[in-house]
Amino acid sequence: MSDMPKPAAPGGEVDPSLLEILVCPVTKGTLRYDRARGELVSDAARLAYPIRDGIPIMLPDEARRLDDPAP
Amino acid sequence: MNALPPPDPMRVFDRRLLRLRRDRAAATVQGVAPVLEAAAELLLDRLDDTTHRFTRALDLGGRGVVAPLLRARGIPFIVSMDLSARMAAKGREMAGGLALAGDEEWLPFAPESFDLVVASLSLHWVNDLPGALVQIRRALKPDGLFLAALPGLGTLQALREALAGAETELRGGISPRVSPFPDLRDLAGLLQRAGFAMPVADAETLHLSYRSPMALFADLRAAGEGNAVLARDGRIPPRALLPLAASRLPEEGGAIPVELRLLTMTGWAPHESQGRPARPGSATHRLAEALGVEERSAGEKAGR
Repeated sequence: MSDMPKPAAPGGEVDPSLLEILVCPVTKGTLRYDRARGELVSDAARLAYPIRDGIPIMLPDEARRLDDPAP
Repeated sequence: MNALPPPDPMRVFDRRLLRLRRDRAAATVQGVAPVLEAAAELLLDRLDDTTHRFTRALDLGGRGVVAPLLRARGIPFIVSMDLSARMAAKGREMAGGLALAGDEEWLPFAPESFDLVVASLSLHWVNDLPGALVQIRRALKPDGLFLAALPGLGTLQALREALAGAETELRGGISPRVSPFPDLRDLAGLLQRAGFAMPVADAETLHLSYRSPMALFADLRAAGEGNAVLARDGRIPPRALLPLAASRLPEEGGAIPVELRLLTMTGWAPHESQGRPARPGSATHRLAEALGVEERSAGEKAGR
């Protein structure tokens, strides 16, 4: 419904102008913003980068492996 | 026993430890802001020398000090990146820009995202500097500018010697306690190899003075500049190490002089409007004629 307020994204909102220029640090490929989970997903690298307090954590070490069960 | 990964000779710094250090330092870095600001101002002076107008800036490791200085120069779009999310947030907090946690060795930006990249005292903890420079160049639009300041060889030299002397006396051997720093000669070559046009590397010295050696150690820690060399001695240092090293630091009139040798790198992302050296042998006038002297052969032919 268009007049319903969107539920708050976990990890906070990321500025669209930042989303526009971010790529996966491993593959340099495009990212998918999973707003419901608060993650930036690199399908090519099978990694999901978390967003905390509106700050994308673009560190391969900190990313969740897509093949692992969700935390 | 936990198995250690095989040692990689190209990995000098422990990036994970560095991230923890910078996380912790986010709360204290304000105390050393004057030193970081002085270094950043020396670097950003170069912006004031060009007629270029920059509109999209990336601040690498600026610790909440560089972003406001970029904002003060009228740059509307500023992104602050740091290994530590907390430190990156300082940039956002101080200048109202955008923040992300990222690693200079794994830069997460699409090609041509910025027209200015500034790294003030942050690249000296990068293991693969040539790789980081290539990634920075790709993140720049054509004719975009890259500015970096690194502490160079000679920085904290007195401290390095004092620690080595004290450790030799107490333990009969030394371990790295001060980060290795690059030499000026390395940097211009690195910029060129990374594909930057008109690369320039030069050195300036910032003279600091500390009331006591302990004040110097406290500042280094406050800036997140504790030892992150992988080959560091993991044992707890002997209690006498710091006092003994402190007693060996040179003193001038009750103060400890500290030299910060700043190496500055400037490079442009290539663009067709930039000047290029002419092909050898393509000159139409003789230099000797212009100078009014007799031309003498140097004994070699010009390249073709």
